[in-house]
Amino acid sequence: MAVDPQKELTKLHGALGVSQAVIKSTFFEWRQTALELLGPSSDTLDVVLKFWEVAGVDVAKNFFPMLNLRKGQEGLILDLARALAGTGIANGAVVRVEKGEGPLEALIRWERCPWPTFAKRYGASMKEDLLGCDKFLQTIVAEANAFLGTDLKIETQKAIPSGDGVCLRRLYK
Amino acid sequence: MIDKFIPGLKRLADAIHEQKAIAGCQLMHCGRVGGIETEYCQGPSPVPQRLRIFRPVEVMTKADIKQCIKEHVEATERLLKAGFDYVEISGIVGYLLSNFVSSYTNRRTDEYGGDIQGRMRFVVELVAEVKKLCGDVPVGIRLCADELLDDVGGNTPEESMITYEMAEEAGVDVMSVTAGWQESIYPVISRDIPMGSWLHLAERAKQHLKIPVSMAYRLFTPDLPNKAIGEGKLDIWEMCRPMIADPLMPKKVLEGTEDEIRPCVACNVCLARLFRDAPMTCYINPVCAHEWDPKYEIKPAEMEKNIIIVGAGPAGLECAWVAAERGHEVHIYDKREELGGTIIEASKAPYGDDELYGQISFSKAKAEKAGVEFHLGTEVTPELIEEEMPDTVVLATGPKYVKGTAPGFDRANVVPMLDVLNGKAEVGENVVVWGNLKPGIGVALLLAKQGKKVTVVGKERKLGKDINPSFKWRYVGYLKDNRVATYNDSEIEEITDDGITIRTYDGYRIPIKADTVVCTEREANPDLKDVVQENGIELFVIGDALVPRNLSSAVHDGYRIGIRV
Repeated sequence: MAVDPQKELTKLHGALGVSQAVIKSTFFEWRQTALELLGPSSDTLDVVLKFWEVAGVDVAKNFFPMLNLRKGQEGLILDLARALAGTGIANGAVVRVEKGEGPLEALIRWERCPWPTFAKRYGASMKEDLLGCDKFLQTIVAEANAFLGTDLKIETQKAIPSGDGVCLRRLYK
Repeated sequence: MIDKFIPGLKRLADAIHEQKAIAGCQLMHCGRVGGIETEYCQGPSPVPQRLRIFRPVEVMTKADIKQCIKEHVEATERLLKAGFDYVEISGIVGYLLSNFVSSYTNRRTDEYGGDIQGRMRFVVELVAEVKKLCGDVPVGIRLCADELLDDVGGNTPEESMITYEMAEEAGVDVMSVTAGWQESIYPVISRDIPMGSWLHLAERAKQHLKIPVSMAYRLFTPDLPNKAIGEGKLDIWEMCRPMIADPLMPKKVLEGTEDEIRPCVACNVCLARLFRDAPMTCYINPVCAHEWDPKYEIKPAEMEKNIIIVGAGPAGLECAWVAAERGHEVHIYDKREELGGTIIEASKAPYGDDELYGQISFSKAKAEKAGVEFHLGTEVTPELIEEEMPDTVVLATGPKYVKGTAPGFDRANVVPMLDVLNGKAEVGENVVVWGNLKPGIGVALLLAKQGKKVTVVGKERKLGKDINPSFKWRYVGYLKDNRVATYNDSEIEEITDDGITIRTYDGYRIPIKADTVVCTEREANPDLKDVVQENGIELFVIGDALVPRNLSSAVHDGYRIGIRV
């Protein structure tokens, strides 16, 4: 029986979308669980930022085998930028990496991102959404620096949660 | 190590001395790779671990460093009390001293960090203290000649030679030359690295040192170090894994019976188990870690038997020599003219798999010496068994290679793996290998290296689950390098003119272009079982004929039945 590629891809794409949505829902459900258990005196932002720090440390480990100082600082920055973009793409965002103005910088542009939509659905603030994402990316960069002895930085120049239409982050030395 | 261990250490040293050998012992602090069961490990700087199995690094204070030196000295004192003649300090591959030496893991700004002189300070202080205590007792050290960490900013080979010179100046008497780290992305000691590949590092070390230079890495056969020593590239041959495979290796070299050395196949299962705190075992040596156990000894048989072994592969040959040494009359049959069974084909796979045949050469030598009678080119039939009526039959016939049941498996472009490895089958440009265990990986790599576009499809959930993790990463890397696509946890649903359709475990169907499908799936082989049992003959089934597994299981099965029968 011949394969119907359209049917197979449609099924697969649908399943991918569901799993991406489940990941985000699970985050907000755990967030709610933590806040309820911690009680009213807990600071939501502290809890959320701690989560993204833990996630950043863990995700960074996946990048260690692919980071390579032999490619030079320029190559390293581009590789790390692509890896950071990949974390967004895996979650259903549309993310592109561009070379920055100087050789030692890369721009990472989130043209679409599903996280703010989910934040709204679960009653989380846009500030929390933005700071959580920043914490996640900064932690990964910090771990990469600790691993390689480099001094890379990442800054947010535009953000969808701030109403800028895109998230634009600069990774640089 | 505390004083209560001195009597035990003394027993070890005495046992070594009784055999007129020199007793040496190694001091090692595992540093960065020392934390698995603990919450943390120790090191010079908190550099995150590349390997997830190891715990985060707790930074050592200067007081910790002084304490560590003191403990090394105390340990040395115990070794000397126990009667050891040689002390070796380990500073390699990711252990504590190497963590201090390497620019990758030492980011300190105090006197124990900075340039190579600063990073070596800990080693120099430690060596000086140990040597002061040892006096005339020689002290050796293991240091990396090339860390192979250039991707993460490790030491240059030039810096490594400076560490050698500094260690010599600090008082070491022997330099053990090594290469690579556990965190290095380059392979160093696995079978895919040809023997002798690292001798150039020993040669380089000799150019920088006056003290003797020793080396272990991938010097598995005596001829290699013998030649290197003769050429002045090396002074001392070290053996570790080869002596796990055959602890009597030095004795056999001295006696000139090198053909009876059971060869290490550099699979690293010993390391894989070490890293997981699992009991020691050896892929190829069934007695490893059972040396104390009388059940594993080869003892004279209580009743001598006439034994027929069907199949002269690794299981049959192992069983044959062991049983013959015990006094049995052993006849081994194989329908092929050549010894080795499917190892003949398996050893044709690339990346060092030719070394697998060494086990066959070893067991052949042992079998010949033990008086085993070979009947090659003779297929064992029910009639032959009924005519010979032996006391025991051991079926070591190897597995049955099976095709799938999906439509199309009967097509002419579906070929058995053995025919491909023997060059008997015609193979197209687009190939699907059916089976994602070691046999499938081996044939996939062979074909990919011939320039074919290869896809591996298998029903196991993970690729190469029959390969230990300390070697599997090499195969995974080579599959990637050779652009071999893999689909695990999948079935072949259909084979057509153009290719195959696979169905993943969760129901997705994917078409794959294929001119040829290579079958590597195996099942147990019960042939001849009935006729043996019907005639009331004692029967054993071993190796892949019992359950298709790997070379290790074949050898272990063969040995175990050899000592029991």
